Amino acid sequence: MNSGQEKIAGEYPLVAVVDDDESVRESLPDLLREFGFATHSFSSAEEFLTSDSLVQTGCLILDVAMPGITGFDLQRELKLRGHSIPIIFISAHKDEVVRRRAFQQGAVEFLFKPFSDTALLQALNTALRVR
Amino acid sequence: MADSSDEISVDNAIGAATSTESPSARALSKVEPPQNESGLFSGESVLNILKLIFAGAPLAEVLTIIARLVEAQGKGMFCTIWLLDKEGRYVHCATAPSLPGFITHWERTPVGPDGACCGTAVYRREPVYATDILNDPLWEGYRHLVVPYGVRAVWARPLFSSEGKALGTFAILYRKVGSPSATDLQLIENASHIAGIAIERHTNETELRRSEAFLAEAQRLSSTGSFSWRVETGEITWSEELYRIFEFERNVPVTLELIGSRVHPEDIPMLNDMIDRARGSGSDFEYEHRLQMSDHSVKYVHMVGHGSRDRDGRLVYIGAAQDVTEHRLSEETLGKVRSELAHVARVTSLGALTASIAHEVNQPLSGIITNASTCLRMLTLDPPNVEGARETARRTIRDGNRASDVITRLRALFSKKDTIAERVDLNDATREVIALSLSELQRNRVILRCALADNLPIVIGDRVQLQQVILNLLRNSSDAMNTVLDRPREVLIRTERDAGDRALLSVKDAGIGFDQQSMDKIFQAFHTTKNDGMGIGLSVSRSIIEQHNGRLWATLNDGPGATFSFSIPSATNT
Repeated sequence: MNSGQEKIAGEYPLVAVVDDDESVRESLPDLLREFGFATHSFSSAEEFLTSDSLVQTGCLILDVAMPGITGFDLQRELKLRGHSIPIIFISAHKDEVVRRRAFQQGAVEFLFKPFSDTALLQALNTALRVR
Repeated sequence: MADSSDEISVDNAIGAATSTESPSARALSKVEPPQNESGLFSGESVLNILKLIFAGAPLAEVLTIIARLVEAQGKGMFCTIWLLDKEGRYVHCATAPSLPGFITHWERTPVGPDGACCGTAVYRREPVYATDILNDPLWEGYRHLVVPYGVRAVWARPLFSSEGKALGTFAILYRKVGSPSATDLQLIENASHIAGIAIERHTNETELRRSEAFLAEAQRLSSTGSFSWRVETGEITWSEELYRIFEFERNVPVTLELIGSRVHPEDIPMLNDMIDRARGSGSDFEYEHRLQMSDHSVKYVHMVGHGSRDRDGRLVYIGAAQDVTEHRLSEETLGKVRSELAHVARVTSLGALTASIAHEVNQPLSGIITNASTCLRMLTLDPPNVEGARETARRTIRDGNRASDVITRLRALFSKKDTIAERVDLNDATREVIALSLSELQRNRVILRCALADNLPIVIGDRVQLQQVILNLLRNSSDAMNTVLDRPREVLIRTERDAGDRALLSVKDAGIGFDQQSMDKIFQAFHTTKNDGMGIGLSVSRSIIEQHNGRLWATLNDGPGATFSFSIPSATNT
């Protein structure tokens, strides 16, 4: 079910970071900018859902364990709303069961913290190629 | 039968007791056979009465026969015998063979000063003679009950058991005013004696039967059977309930072999061990073991035995065995549930703990790596983004500190309590640990042996921690034998003085041992071969012993199993 999310040709894809951890929101955007992406950060799923940039988001880097709406909840909600934003999950808990579940629900990649910059770059390329 | 016409046979007396001659005719026209001047019963009569008594003839019948024998000897005498009730407050007339309807008037005569001779005799514990009842104040209110029978005098004598307990009264009702002659007294004396025996025996029999019934009932209710075992002869006696527990036919002769055929094969070594010990020491024992029935179902039996010497100095065990199967099964279920619960709690909390540790540490680590990656990229730009690199480096340092704080906090969480240093007698400490573990060891069918040295030096240390080590070693040895079926599950705890003035404690088991290669691994933290083990025991034990300036090591036995030992310097040595 498409809500007609247009691909903005030629522009740097917008990558959104949703994580309640401040150090992630601090460090990740700088790295993403070095990769050449435009980026916005959000401290909660609710903040992301109510933001203007949601429609323009080309890829979502999403923490699993968050207070309030969790990463999986957000994934489900986006699907329900008809957004097909590719999601890269990041998590500090090394849990294979959770990882498998994320893929079953359509995640592009699932990275365990700490992850290398190359792993992240690979995931981003995969995510944006899929579209 | 006796040839002398003077002797009255018991048969005649019995015959008279059961005859259907009109009672009034009998009362009024008393047969008066020739008197036996000595007042004695014939030896044969006495023997026959005694036979009746010990054959269990009803008491009333025996007393009636005695009464008739007396009446046959005494001219003009009516003989009555009275019994004391259970509370000792009243007497009632049990037999009055020549006084029809008499008994019914005398069902409750008070034991007291106003007991009309019969009650009064018991009260005073001495003969009471009312030589003229018409004028005797004792018979005030009672005389109307006897006068119609033609009675003018009453001679009553209390009956006592061999222990001097009052049983009743022997009373002669005489048709003439007067006191008993010497012959009469002799007759009364002899009759009383035999009547006393009859009554005492009857009471004892009744009491005995009642206790036996209570005991049998109690045994049935509690599923407990009793036994006796004459060790030298091997003679074993069982109560009914024990036959029932073992599922053998009642009265089958019981031997150790028979018992062994019902004991669960895995518990036979324990049984044999117990028998040897009992034979040797003669001391009390208490064991729990399993039985295997013919349908292969299992019962748990808790047995206690008390050893003593009989008059000839021979060893006899008296004991009881209780079927505790239900109890044990529910305990096992409870135990399983408890350990599952503990396991879940442990896993959950450990899981939760590791998860939170990972989370706490991974966050700053992730920040460090991301920031450092960014820093590198910024520095490889042309021109390098130094300001950006500086910022990422700053963040990296901050995150590194953050991670370090996490570790510090965790260490504080798990810090040990202060160690206590006191004088510790390892033998006492070991005995306490054994006492605590005994039931658990018995449940696991472990046979524990102890060899604690008298000359073991005292050590300085933390008693509780050392006991934890001993307990850990003991538990491990028991666990190592969980799967052992073909040999006795023996554990030997031994203390001795070690070279260099040290205390050495070793725990030897007959279990599955371990592979020589993994010798070092077993002391490592988190190494475990148990399904529900946390692998903490041996590594913590070793560190405790090392803190005591000692060492903990393991060796494989010559036979099956392993021995774990530790040695600590003595108090004088530290």
